[in-house]
Amino acid sequence: MICLIALVVFAVLGIFSAKYRTVAKEAFDCVFRRITLRKCTTGLDKRLKSKITGKLMLKHPGFARNVYKHFEMISWVFTIVLIVSFSYSVYSVANLFIYGNCNGPIPDAFCLFDPFISEGTEGECTIEAAVGEITGVLEVHPDDPVIGPEDAKVTIIEAGCFVCPYTKQAVPVVKQIISHYGDKIRFVYKDFPVSSAHPGAQEAAEASHCAHEQGKYWEYHYMLFENQGKTGFEELVGFAENLDLDTEQFSECLASHKYKSKVDSDFREAFEIGVYGTPTFFINGQVVVGPKTFNEFRQIIDNELARGG
Amino acid sequence: MGLDVEKIREDFPVLKKTVNNKPIIYMDSACMTLRPIQVIDKINEYYREYPSCGERSLHKLGKRVDEEVEKSRNIIKKFINAKRMEEIVFTKNTTEGINLLANSLGLKQGDIVLGTDKEHNSNLLPWQKLASEGVKYEVVMSGKDDNFSFENFKEKMNRGVKLVSMVHMSNLDGTTTPAKEIVKTAHENEALVLLDGAQSVPHHPLDVRKLDVDFLAFSGHKMMGPSGIGVLYGKKDLLEKLPAFMVGGGTVVDTTHYEAKFEELPQKFEAGLQNYAGIIGLGGAAKYLMKIGKENIEKHEIELNRRVTEGVEGFERLSLIGPGEAEKRGGIISFNINGVSSHEIAMMMDEMENICVRSGAHCVHSWFNAHKLDGSVRASLYIYNTPEECDKFVETLKRVIDLMK
Repeated sequence: MICLIALVVFAVLGIFSAKYRTVAKEAFDCVFRRITLRKCTTGLDKRLKSKITGKLMLKHPGFARNVYKHFEMISWVFTIVLIVSFSYSVYSVANLFIYGNCNGPIPDAFCLFDPFISEGTEGECTIEAAVGEITGVLEVHPDDPVIGPEDAKVTIIEAGCFVCPYTKQAVPVVKQIISHYGDKIRFVYKDFPVSSAHPGAQEAAEASHCAHEQGKYWEYHYMLFENQGKTGFEELVGFAENLDLDTEQFSECLASHKYKSKVDSDFREAFEIGVYGTPTFFINGQVVVGPKTFNEFRQIIDNELARGG
Repeated sequence: MGLDVEKIREDFPVLKKTVNNKPIIYMDSACMTLRPIQVIDKINEYYREYPSCGERSLHKLGKRVDEEVEKSRNIIKKFINAKRMEEIVFTKNTTEGINLLANSLGLKQGDIVLGTDKEHNSNLLPWQKLASEGVKYEVVMSGKDDNFSFENFKEKMNRGVKLVSMVHMSNLDGTTTPAKEIVKTAHENEALVLLDGAQSVPHHPLDVRKLDVDFLAFSGHKMMGPSGIGVLYGKKDLLEKLPAFMVGGGTVVDTTHYEAKFEELPQKFEAGLQNYAGIIGLGGAAKYLMKIGKENIEKHEIELNRRVTEGVEGFERLSLIGPGEAEKRGGIISFNINGVSSHEIAMMMDEMENICVRSGAHCVHSWFNAHKLDGSVRASLYIYNTPEECDKFVETLKRVIDLMK
């Protein structure tokens, strides 16, 4: 049975180093022979047994004696553990594919296979006075930047911060959602600048509205994320120039803090209903906090679409 | 006078190494010996100072290669006390030497080749191969005490036997065949004798003229020489009669499109560009061994073997292969622990105390099959082994046996 464990271990190691491939091949031969009810002739099982017990002998002779004596049984235990953990992994991957989370329909549970989590980016940018409980829903105002028709069955409102890395992390998924669902959804972006942790967030948010008045909100929005952290006056004007906006009008707008009240009111509204960090999404009222996978969003959106909004 | 082992050990760089903070205890010299720095230097000397063609190039470097090769041939001649330098043919190893003879002796259908039941595959397969062409291969079985049985040999010996091809010292259990008596009896029956000297030449005083043996094959890697070099000794008049086995560059004086005029001995058997570094290194190894003295080597090995044999006496489930007396087994201790695979024991000893021993059938599968055994553990000693290492071997083996209770 040790050969089965050796096969898995050395096959994985063999991906990285050729020296393990021969042993993996031997292990495969051994496993194949055992499956076909023949004796393992490579001697790999005995070699592994000797190597393991030989090493143990140096430090714990008594333990080594027991390992030697019950080696086959120990191998069986490890094999069963291996099979169980492998089966559970397959089950988790299937869940990830179906529900967008390893653990099935519980989206917030920990999932090792989640690409966002595996990159170590799970989380959100929180404000200092966070309460941690969202008790209401954001409303859409006429001056909010929107993609999608007003009568779409599903409305997704994102409360985001241009300088928050987690908001940036969610950008590709948001883009994917918009392109995948098209006119079936309406996407609204609201400012929730986490200025305490990310200086410049307020200025970036105001700048985005200066671009909005010239009809290039979304271009400017994505440019801010692409150049995240660059929030100096000159830099913000430079982005406008790159988008062929009227830089004089833009500079004036930015310098006069024309949209400060809009950004402040977005923030206040969100804060009042308990939003504590970015990105926070409201999908027809359902709250999703942090950058999630497309599959997780899809699960909720599809349910909403099926319910007819 | 005993050997100054500590001084000898200084010559072996590998013995200064440690693995897991423990020294290496090398007891696999029957498979391959370690090399002293003198031999390593001699090999390097060729590559550093005159790395060029021998026998063909007339420039200074080429001449130096010729000089060194012939110097080496002369040392080997002295090493086995051959009469002439032409009788020393350089080969790749013992196996090639035996194959050379098997393919050149011109044995015919009905001719008999005699071997023992402890032949290495290298002195078995070349004759088995001839058996398919009508040459008969017969085996002289060992006596009850696991030693060579002269009675069994005489029983097999008759006028049909054209060649006695026997192992001189067994790599399986270290027993030595009485070569002088075998040669005498074979010659009385007009049979030639080839000795497989792979084990005897490095460990045992050997004089080809005193033995009157016709052919002797041995390898460099078992006598502290480089790998890939060996020697076939043959009496000049016999070698002269043999056709060249392998032909090509270096074996001819001249050729036309359709004919060739072959070189004299020994070049006619040394086809292609030779392993010059190997030959020169082999000369260095023979010189090193001669300086120590084969009698001293044999005495040292037997003393160590006695120490191990006495040490393992009474070990539960242990059975020695070969005669019980250490002096009859040279530097070899071959054994089994009943019910345990030899590989397991060898690997554990390596893992625990860096003790390098061999396990398995040691290329003598025929003997193990006849005795219904999978193999054995073999510790083979040499001049660099110490009594302390032998004690460590015994102690570790005891621990391994206890583990497997």
